[in-house]
Amino acid sequence: MYDIILDFTGNEILSMFISAALPLFMFILPFALVAVLAERKVSAFMQDRLGPTRVGPKGLLQTVADILKLFQKEDIVASNADKKLFNLAPILVFAGSFAVFAAIPFSGAYIGTFADVGIFFVVAISSLVVAGILMAGWASNNKYSLLGAVRSAAQIISYEIPTALVILSLVMLAGTLNLYELTEMQTEYFWNWYIFGGPATGIQKILLIPFMIVGFIILYISTLAEVNRTPFDIPEAESELVAGYHTEYSGMKFAIFFLAEYANMFAVSAIVATLFFGGFQSPFGYLGDLFGVEWLIPIEQFGWFTVKGLFFVFVQMWLRWTLPRLRVDQLMTMCWKYMIPYAFVNLIIIGIISLI
Amino acid sequence: MIPNLSEIFSLTAPEIVIAVTLILVVLVDLIWDKNKVPAMFTAALGLIVAGVVILNGMPETGMIPNNYMVVSDKLGLYFKFIIVLTTLFILLFTYDSKEIIESHLRQGEYYALVYGMVLGMFFLTSAVDLILIYIALELLSLSSYVLAGFSDKETRNSEAAVKYLIYGAISSAFMLFGISLIYGLTGTTNLYGVNEVLSTTVVNIYTLGFAVILIIAGIGYKISAVPFHFWTPDVYEGSPITITAYLSVASKAAGFALLIRFVSITFIDHVKADGEWILNGAFDWQTILIVLALLTMTVGNLSALWQKNIKRLLAYSSVAHAGYILLGVAVLTNLGLVSVMIYFAVYMMMNLGAFYVVMLVANKTGSEHISQFDGIGYTMPYAGVALTIFLVSLTGLPPTAGFIGKLYLFLALLDSNMLMVAFIALLNTVISLYYYVRILKHMYLKNVAEMPEKIETRGYSTVVLSLLVVPVLFFGIYWTPLIDFAKYCVEFVIK
Amino acid sequence: MNLYDIIFYIFAAITVVSGVITVTSKNIIYAAFSLLFTFFGVAGMYVLLGADFISIVQIIVYVGGILILLLFGVMLTNKVTSTDIKSGSVNVLPAVIGVALFAGALISIIIRTKWTETPGEIPLSTAGTLGSVLLNEYVIIFELLAVLLLIALIGAASIARRTKEETN
Repeated sequence: MYDIILDFTGNEILSMFISAALPLFMFILPFALVAVLAERKVSAFMQDRLGPTRVGPKGLLQTVADILKLFQKEDIVASNADKKLFNLAPILVFAGSFAVFAAIPFSGAYIGTFADVGIFFVVAISSLVVAGILMAGWASNNKYSLLGAVRSAAQIISYEIPTALVILSLVMLAGTLNLYELTEMQTEYFWNWYIFGGPATGIQKILLIPFMIVGFIILYISTLAEVNRTPFDIPEAESELVAGYHTEYSGMKFAIFFLAEYANMFAVSAIVATLFFGGFQSPFGYLGDLFGVEWLIPIEQFGWFTVKGLFFVFVQMWLRWTLPRLRVDQLMTMCWKYMIPYAFVNLIIIGIISLI
Repeated sequence: MIPNLSEIFSLTAPEIVIAVTLILVVLVDLIWDKNKVPAMFTAALGLIVAGVVILNGMPETGMIPNNYMVVSDKLGLYFKFIIVLTTLFILLFTYDSKEIIESHLRQGEYYALVYGMVLGMFFLTSAVDLILIYIALELLSLSSYVLAGFSDKETRNSEAAVKYLIYGAISSAFMLFGISLIYGLTGTTNLYGVNEVLSTTVVNIYTLGFAVILIIAGIGYKISAVPFHFWTPDVYEGSPITITAYLSVASKAAGFALLIRFVSITFIDHVKADGEWILNGAFDWQTILIVLALLTMTVGNLSALWQKNIKRLLAYSSVAHAGYILLGVAVLTNLGLVSVMIYFAVYMMMNLGAFYVVMLVANKTGSEHISQFDGIGYTMPYAGVALTIFLVSLTGLPPTAGFIGKLYLFLALLDSNMLMVAFIALLNTVISLYYYVRILKHMYLKNVAEMPEKIETRGYSTVVLSLLVVPVLFFGIYWTPLIDFAKYCVEFVIK
Repeated sequence: MNLYDIIFYIFAAITVVSGVITVTSKNIIYAAFSLLFTFFGVAGMYVLLGADFISIVQIIVYVGGILILLLFGVMLTNKVTSTDIKSGSVNVLPAVIGVALFAGALISIIIRTKWTETPGEIPLSTAGTLGSVLLNEYVIIFELLAVLLLIALIGAASIARRTKEETN
């Protein structure tokens, strides 16, 4: 993608910026627009109501109206807040969640970087989000914000461990950290996806399937916790902490937090899809191959990738409106006493199986 | 060249025994979580096995440098044996230590951490790669930081741990910087490789000197040589006595083994037939070691004069002893090396013994202040006599083993015509007599009751004490086996 | 000056400026957050040197681990339990002299020394090579590091259990 833009503009720096900003304008912003509306519509459906109906046909333009409202809002900084950090925090949070998209392969034709450390980079760079959240909570000078931030940080760094362990078991199996290569291994048909044991054959594949499913469940639960979604949303539990670390934020800064949260939601869903469900690979061949139309394939791949990602985003919303929130101690117990040991055992078993 | 797995196993057999036992100790402690005796027995058993493996491995050590990161030679095994013996004694002490017994539930961690120290020290004695040396040093330090603050009864415990940590972090940072400079100069971290580069090409002497001084800072911190000794009194005072004794003997032994190996591998050109080391002239080791040694013993002895707390006094005395031992290294001959090894064996027995008596007294009285020793010679007669013997031995007077240590040290000095240095060392010994005798004065001449009330000591304590008193006296009278063993072990792999 | 030079200077500026703020700031939170940018700048340097794996490790260990714990500790002590953290400076003059001497020695050494140079090209990916070197040539160090981490865990547990025991 960078090469195409370089041909077009002829300037290295400019084309690098454009190709870096592409996912933001092409993907994250429209996605957030849709997802916010979807969240409200899904919740309405689950609770047997209608949701937003006034703006546009069936309320479809509700989010647009919301964004217009956020643009116009006064930018309030509490007088006792630490202004420098208060202004920096949303940027840091968004930078962290946006940087993740650099390593995600959207399709065979578009991936931010082919860096060989892909998935490792994703795990590492998302820690910027934690720093940003802590910064926001601290700078607000508000006890709810601080508590929310501290809870959030504790939760995210705890749940990074099972996430990393499951990812490690997959990396061990695949022998690469590169997300693009990982996707290429799960090509052709859906039984080559890692949830079904990946490209392994014979007895090994059959043995792998149950442990892959366990790995997927652990990974999915811990990614839920990492993006602070229910049932792990104690950092912004509205009945206890108002809104957690972004209580004091308003206007565009609040919008940036909001955007970062939705970007994160899609990012983790995309990671889950890439690791276990073949990423941008179609479950059963491509129309482009069938008709011999070369340029159709990347577009199809992008479509598959979006569908898979959106499906997991939908599951996140589904869970949010069905499950109650966990208490802090339950949350930690679940992570340290159950998921980490299970993830370790799973890692060892997958290691043994891959030796067969 | 990377040796194959079985070669690695034979090179690091004692280390593997220790590492496996470390895991076993943790597991045993998890299985019997209320009863701490199994963990202790596992720990002791592992040490005995390691000791047997070491003695067993001695005749078959290879003399060929294999360019790998560990060597197995008699010199390293000798120091490992000293470390194993010290650790065994420390375990015996622990069984009797009020401070450790009071934190009953955490004893499993205590043994595991001691094992961490042992593993770090083992690798320090045999490592010939700067990265491995650094990691081993960190393992040793990390375990000892926690052990220094193991009990939490007084603020001085935590103070000891924090001070040790801060000094340790800074000195290991210096050492790491020195290592990186050496790597930048020579392009290798292997000590044999460094030696080869130093003897074949011309490197910038100032940079090398700077790097070596930084590394000396790291080693000097471990052996508490002046001016890197500032942590010693505070840490020794605040740590549990078992750990103080351990730090003063075992971790010094490891530090000296590292120093000897660093000098003898990196900077040696060849060993002459009469045992004199000819260095390759890249760094003037003799001068700097002599200066360090004289500073260390003088500062240690002079500071010890004013101490009212026995632990602090022994801390400064151990600084002074590090100075004597450094002189043995500074001679840079095989005879000097023999004297270092003998001194260490002797120092182990007498220093451990002194700390054990201090622990027995502190167990009864709850303090290590010198006034608590008033009349101990009558209330605890055996402990009093034992402490007298240890102190006489620490001074270096016959008929105790300490005399042999000093005797061989001075012989080595005179052999290399270092009369002035020997004279200063002798003066220092005289100074040390003063503060050792001060303890004796408190024990026998102060505050003596007409009919002293005997303080009961357990039979166990008496036995452990005898295990230390008897050899100190025995080797003071018949020292040939000790000398022979040390001479047998002066055999180390140079390039 | 090509693109990489510009990126290098940006990262260098981030590292140095935030490093200075870390040292001079009286506010411990500012110091901690500028440390974050220092680490980040260093990670960027690693990328430019072709050490991709090391740079990610730098971020995951320092930014994701150490710094978050540091902030966590500061926030818990300072705001939640309202304990003051002293951040004054004492003995400025001796420190300045010492640091100046040390820095002078270092700079003169770095400039004057002829360092060993080994020819080599920047590898495209370092992760695989690093892994095989760690598990072959440096296997003892690798295993020793595992023990080191175990000891660190045991030590941390031991320290954390210290006070709890007293109440029993």
